[in-house]
Parts: sequence; structure tokens; C-alpha cells
Amino acid sequence: MQFSVGRRELLSKLQMVTNVVERRQTLPILGNVKLSWADNSLALTGTDLDLEVDTKVSIDSDAQGATTVPARKFLDLCKAAPEDAELRFEQQESRFLVRYGKSRFSLGTLPADEFPMVETSGDALEFDIPQKVLRRLFEKTQFAMAQQDVRYYLNGLLLELSGDAVRTVATDGHRMAISESPVGISGTETRSAILARKSVLELGKLMGGGDRSAHLKLYKTHLVAEADDAKIATRLVDGSFPDYERVIPSKTDRLAKINRQGFREALQRVAILSSEKYRAVRLEFYGSELKLSARNPDQEEAEELLEIEYQGEPLEIGFNVNYLLDVLSAVEADTVEMQLADSSSSCLIAQPGETSERYVVMPLRL
Amino acid sequence: MGEGQSDRQAPPSIKLLSSNLSDQIAAGEVVERPASVVKEVLENALDAGARHIDIEIEAGGTRLIRVRDDGFGIPRDQLSLALTRHATSKVSTLEDLEAITTLGFRGEALPSIASVSRLQLISAQDGNGWQVGSGAEGGDPQPAPHPQGTSVVVRDLFYNTPARRKFLRTERTEQSHIEEALRRLAMARFDVRFTWRYNGRTGQDLPIAESESARAGRVSKLLGRGFMEHALPLRSEAAGLSLEGWIATPAFARAAANMQYVYVNGRVIRDKTVSHAIRLGYADVLHQGRHPAYLLYLELDPTRVDVNVHPTKSEVRFRDSRMVHDFIHRAVRERLRDARAGVGETNPNVATDGAFGGAPAMPMPIAGFPGGGAGGLSGYRPNFEMAVAGGSVSETTGFYQLAAQPLATAVEGGLSPETEEVEIPPLGYALAQLHGIYILAQNRAGLVLVDMHAGHERILYERLKQQRADNPLVRQPLLIPLVLHLSGREMDTVLTAQDELLSHGFEVTPSGPESVTIREVPALLRDADASAMVRDLIADLQRFGSSNRTAQEQDQLLSTLACHTSVRANRQLTLPEMNGLLREMEATERSGQCNHGRPTWVQLDLSAIDKLFMRGR
Repeated sequence: MQFSVGRRELLSKLQMVTNVVERRQTLPILGNVKLSWADNSLALTGTDLDLEVDTKVSIDSDAQGATTVPARKFLDLCKAAPEDAELRFEQQESRFLVRYGKSRFSLGTLPADEFPMVETSGDALEFDIPQKVLRRLFEKTQFAMAQQDVRYYLNGLLLELSGDAVRTVATDGHRMAISESPVGISGTETRSAILARKSVLELGKLMGGGDRSAHLKLYKTHLVAEADDAKIATRLVDGSFPDYERVIPSKTDRLAKINRQGFREALQRVAILSSEKYRAVRLEFYGSELKLSARNPDQEEAEELLEIEYQGEPLEIGFNVNYLLDVLSAVEADTVEMQLADSSSSCLIAQPGETSERYVVMPLRL
Repeated sequence: MGEGQSDRQAPPSIKLLSSNLSDQIAAGEVVERPASVVKEVLENALDAGARHIDIEIEAGGTRLIRVRDDGFGIPRDQLSLALTRHATSKVSTLEDLEAITTLGFRGEALPSIASVSRLQLISAQDGNGWQVGSGAEGGDPQPAPHPQGTSVVVRDLFYNTPARRKFLRTERTEQSHIEEALRRLAMARFDVRFTWRYNGRTGQDLPIAESESARAGRVSKLLGRGFMEHALPLRSEAAGLSLEGWIATPAFARAAANMQYVYVNGRVIRDKTVSHAIRLGYADVLHQGRHPAYLLYLELDPTRVDVNVHPTKSEVRFRDSRMVHDFIHRAVRERLRDARAGVGETNPNVATDGAFGGAPAMPMPIAGFPGGGAGGLSGYRPNFEMAVAGGSVSETTGFYQLAAQPLATAVEGGLSPETEEVEIPPLGYALAQLHGIYILAQNRAGLVLVDMHAGHERILYERLKQQRADNPLVRQPLLIPLVLHLSGREMDTVLTAQDELLSHGFEVTPSGPESVTIREVPALLRDADASAMVRDLIADLQRFGSSNRTAQEQDQLLSTLACHTSVRANRQLTLPEMNGLLREMEATERSGQCNHGRPTWVQLDLSAIDKLFMRGR
């Protein structure tokens, strides 16, 4: 009942699995990872009951067995091994032995059949999507997710599937991010699911395979994603996400085109002297100029002028600078477009002539 | 189906209660326990203009309560009437009732007491004493010798109501209730002498206290010296309201909410509005779960307060409770703002058992210091002898003289050495840092220990609060408005208080018969649970007519910020840095307590340190 695996092959897989294991546990087995080996392959599983991550790594033996070991300790032992070490494992009754070099460790175990697995049921919508597409959808929106909001459904990401697009939406009630990929899921009516914050972050890590495809299964209550030799199964957030279409401002009669990098850097400079708590910056649009200014409680002031393209009446409007900077970091184009109505209505930021990424930000009342 | 349906009895007929029975029913409300008798009878004596009231209690008031006053007395022909229900000399018209200036007025006390005890009423006017006894209502007064004034003698309380008697506690408990009743009245009337005895032994003798110090003396006798040592005298007047009395520094905060006395026009009361206002005044200087101690006298036009709310008159209703609330809140808050070193007559953080009073900042000759002749060092006589285990003290006196040196040098560092008279700051000059946590400083009284993190935290916190107050409120409109479901009563409050809510940073608009939409929140609280906050705000507005909840919530955030940005333990500070911190603390409001209500500094008097070494005994 012995097998061995290289540290390098194991470590990244183990890390991924251990990530979902919560540090503090009331149920001891949830602090463990499940190891099961058969047919020259070792499967690793970690769970927090809502989110389960499985990965595989090949081993040198066709021995069979399964157990669970304390996740953090197991990870730390493997991490501490010399870089090229060959890790040798052996199960001995209620102990799990880890050996490398002249080191020998004996870990406590809990039976593998007591390890809770996420169970899915019912019909699933199955589809393939390039990993990099899904990853991009997440990256462009996940920063706008709420954190610990009482409206629990905002602490996650809306994934919407339709015949002509796959869309992700996130909002914390103050700003919203919408991203869509034009490749639809053929032959389906619109379906949507809310993914919890932690699941979004883990799924993003799973989608590291570039052009390779990920296989997704959307159940009524769960989403299962398989990419390369890893699998994530997650429970969906139950609730109804706000109607994002209604939030996108439509009656905007002011339009500004601004160099993204210049705008971003100017905001970063001005923000230094904005109030630490409000993070307020004032934007004044007139003619072909944008004036950015900020003032803090110590009455220190910052001011900067930007050349822009602007159509519409002059406008003065305040924003939380962090919300603008988040957007400008997510957008990649050289130029961004701000569509504005008035100083108390939301503003839409996008790439000129594109709708693949849209951001709505609420102003501050200064 | 019910019982008695088959042989139904004749329905009881409606008849007027006998006056004795109705008196006993009223007694249930007014005479709850012996202490209530004491209170009622004493109030009568005070209303009769007494200058000296003598009280005698036996067996926790169950055997005897005798109250003798030297007031107006009751004429012979009114003696019997005094024992009749709804007979009073204190009000006669409705107008009187709207502007009550006497303690009693309902005309219930004496007949109620008489109905549950053996009561004797003896009174003398112009040298002729008469008495009436209980039971025999309307019996003719008998002559009895008595000095000017009235005596009420209550024997065998509850002898005829065994149920009530059964509920009495031990003699000791009842006596402490009586003591509390006496205390409350004695603190209401400094112009009256009170003497009382328990089972023949003197309990208190409180002479008339006209002067400020005599009053403080009486309070200190009644509430204990600890209270008075920590008390900050308070006096405030505005818009026809006047508030006087003492509030204890946060350092004296108690685990229980006793030692909270509020008098409204001389009447002790318990009122939600008032206690809430005081509690708010203590906001962010009180440790969690601690209660402030105070003794306050609120005076206002009697027409602006209704005392006829409860039979024992312990509750009142203010015509304009919001104004009263704001007035008291502000007065207490402003007084506590000065709770810092060197301000006020008392030292809030004396570390000793209180045997040593305050350390007022006063100029003193430095030149006298090393000689040990003046001021705080006067306790050191180099030539006293005392055997301490293993050695004699005389060896160490030389060291003490040396110890006095650093002060002189520290002073020289910042001030011209030629100065003959130098004012030592209240927190003194820093000597060293202890384990990277405390600053040791030397002032006139002795050693000052300062928790440097706590002190710095308060300085930053007050600065942040000031900034918040100086800058306009920034509101964050919501991209996705919040819908809140409310009760009908809450809706009414929202409809009338939309502007008020907006001034707190919440734009709330009705969106249905029982729901509102929150459209904007204060930018500082953008991550807080807005719906819970609006709900709490509405509840405050309903109860107190005003709220400073959002200000408190924002302060809470600032407090955390201050805590995170202040110097932490193990940060080594140089002497100039430490002295800088001490000076800032002296200049900062409420610097006696950190944001969480812990003390920031304590004074160790030389005499207290002497005690540790058994010096000077």
C-alpha cells in the first residue's frame, strides 16, 4: 500500500484543493482533504460543503485505497520538502505516513467514507466553453461583488447563459459590472445562476488552460465545472439577482471620451489628497477639459486637468475614486467612454462602440 | 358548558365600595412597602415647610415609623379630614394641578396608610397639640402635648393585610429600601435638617447644608466618598431649563445602574428620556456594560412637566421632551469633555483608594523641590527612623533626594532654568517607557502612568470626530435602492421625519402603504447594513424625538480607524515624543478615557507609594 509522487507535481494540485478548506472547523473531517488512489492515479478532494474541488495526479503504483488527512498539515509537510523530492506515502491502519529524504511523518486520519461529497441531482444543462473566455468574464466583473452584504445574493456573481451570449454581472449596490462574451450556448433559452464569492474565485483559478475548453454542467442547485484534470462542484446561491438591464442608464446626453491610462494615473494622484474615508473626487467636465479635484479634512487640495473629447453641457459630479479606479483597471482599451446624465444619476463607462464590458457607477453627493 | 350554568347564582349587584375597602385598594398602589410610607409621610412634612425632620424606624418599618416635623401643623378641625380620601390642602382647582409645586397632591397617602396600619396623627399649631387615631374615622381629636409641627406615627404596618405582609422581605432589605427613600429626599432638600434612627441607633444626622461645600458634604455622606471624589460639578442653563448637580467621571462607572439620581423640580424621578440623554452624554467614554453615576437636579417651569402620571409620581411627562433631552445631553457631554488632566477640581483617575484628592495644576516653586521642603515632597523627612526588614530606611533617603533630580533636569530641558516659578503640567514630564506600553511621568503629586496607546488613540479619535463635524455629510446614492417594509406606525414616523432622516444621510421615500425605499446612505457608512440602521433610526425618532445614531455609527468607524493608526505597544518613544504625547493629552477633550472607556492614565501619589514601603508611618 505504498505509492510515491513528485513534490512538484503534487504541490499545485494540493494547494488548489486546500484553498477551499476553511481554517476553523466545527466538524473535524471538513478540515481534512480526501485522498483516494487507484489505477496509477491519486485523487485529492477538499470541501466546505458548498464548494468541492477535485484534482488528480498520477502516481507510480496501481495500489488502491482512500483516507482523509488534516489538510493544512499535509500541505505544509509537502511544501517543506526539498524542491525535487519524491514524496512517498503509505497508509498504516489509522495513520498516514509521509516520507521524503531522511524525514518521516505520521499523520492522523479519518475514514474516507465519512467525507461529505457535494451531491448533484436532476437534469443539467451541459456545455463547453473556452477556459480563457470564462476566466475573462470573471476577471472583468468580480471586483464589483459585494462583501458580506445582508442581501446575500449580491455577495456573488450572476452567470447568465443564452443563445447569443454568456454574461456575468456583479454589483454591491453602489456600482455594477457587466461583461459578456458573444459566443452563446446554442439551443438554450436564457438560464442564470448566482455563484458565491468563494466559488467565483476558485473557478477563476481553475480556468488557467487558455484555449482549452472547460466542460460545465448547470444543475438546478449546483454548477459543476471540469477543466483539464480538475473539477469544481459548487452550490448555487438561492435568490433573485437585481434586474441589471434596468440599472443601465439610458437617458444620457453627455458623452466624454478619455484616455484610459491618463485618466487612471490622474485619479491616482488626486486621490492621495482625498478624504481617507469618503474617497471623494470631483470631476468637472466642460469644453474639452476635465478637471479632477479632491480635498481632505485637513484642507489639503489636489487638482489636475485632462484633455478630453466632450459633448454636452458642462457638468460637475463627485465619485468614490476607488469605484472609478476599479473600472479603469478592468478595462483594457486605450480610450474609455463615460456616458453621463446629471450629477445625481448613475454613469455608464465602456469602451467606445462596444458593449462587451459595461460599468455603471453611482456618483457621490458632495 | 361552563361551570355553574345550571344553578346560576344571582348576578352580583353593583354597589359603591366601602371607603375603607377603596382605601385599601389605593394602598396597594401607594403603600407597596414600608419605604413607601416613609416617602409619602416625609413628602407631606416637606410640603408643610418643615426645617427639621426626625425619623425613627423600628424593625424595618414594620413595627414603627415615626416622622416628626416642625412645619405648619394641622389645625384641630382639619385633623380628621386629613385622614379622609381625596382630602388635600395642596391643590384645589384644575389650574393648580397643571402647575404643581408640592410633592404630594393626590390626597391619597394618609388614608391609604391609615387603612393598612395603626396610624396616629399628632399636630400642634400655636402650642396646642391634638391627636387623632386610626380606625375611628371621624373620631374627635384628643388633646396631646406636641411641639409646633406634626408627627405621623405608623405602627404595625400591614397588620390587617396578611397578603402584603407575606411579601415583605427581611428587615434588613426593607431597611435598605427605607434608607434609599430617605437618601432620595435628603438629597432633594438641602435646606432641611434630617435626622434618622434605626431601632434606636442613629443612622444619619444631616444638618442644613446651604453652602456648596456643605451640600457636597451631605452628598458624600449619602452616596459615599468615592462618588464625591470622582464627581464633576455641573451647572447649565438654557431656554428656561436649568440643570445642576454632579456627574461622576467615567472612571467611577459602575456595573449596576444604581447611583443614578435625577430630580425634576425637587421630585426624584425615573424617566427614559432623561436617562437616555445622560447615557448619550457619556457616549464613547464609558467601558462596555458600565453605567454612569450621577446626581442631577433639573428645574423647569412646572407647567412644562406633568407629574400626575403615576400614583407614586416617579414618572413624569415633559411637554417638550425633545428639548429636555437635547439640553441634558449637551450639558452632560460638555461637562465630560473636560474630563482630562488638569481640568476641573477633581482628578478622575486617582489610583489610590481615594484618600488623596485631586492634583490641581498650580504654579509651585521648583527651587523648593530638591530641598524637600515644599509641595509633594514634604512627606520626606530624611531623619525619621523605621526598621524595614533587613535594613534601615536612612540608607535610602539619599536616593530619594537623587530621585528628585530628574524632574529638575527634565524641566530644564524645555524651560529656562532661571525661572523661579515653573508650572508643572498636570501629567508632568516623562521619565521613561515601561515595557514599551506605559509612559512613566513625574508630576507634582507623584508618579503618573500613561497607557500610551490608549492616550494616543483618544487624541486621534477626537481629531477625526472634529473633522467629521467640520465637513459636510457626503451621501452615496444607491445604484440598487433598498426596499424596507415597515409597520403603519413606523411609516407615519418616516412621513413626518423625511428631512430628519436626510440630515442623517438617508434619503428615504415611501414606495407603498407599508414600504419605503432607501435611495441614499451616508458615504461613510456605505458598507453598513442600511436597512437595519434606518429601522433603528426610526425607532429612536419614535422614542426620543431625535437620534444621533448615525453620528454614533460613524464615530464607531472613526474609533476603529483611530485605534489602528495610533502607536502600538512596543514602539519605542524618545522623551520629547513622550512629552509631546502628554501635552497633547492635556489639550484633548475626554482624554481621561480611551475610545473604549478604559482609563488612559493613573496617578500614583507619593504618599501612596510611601505606603508601599511603609514609609512615614
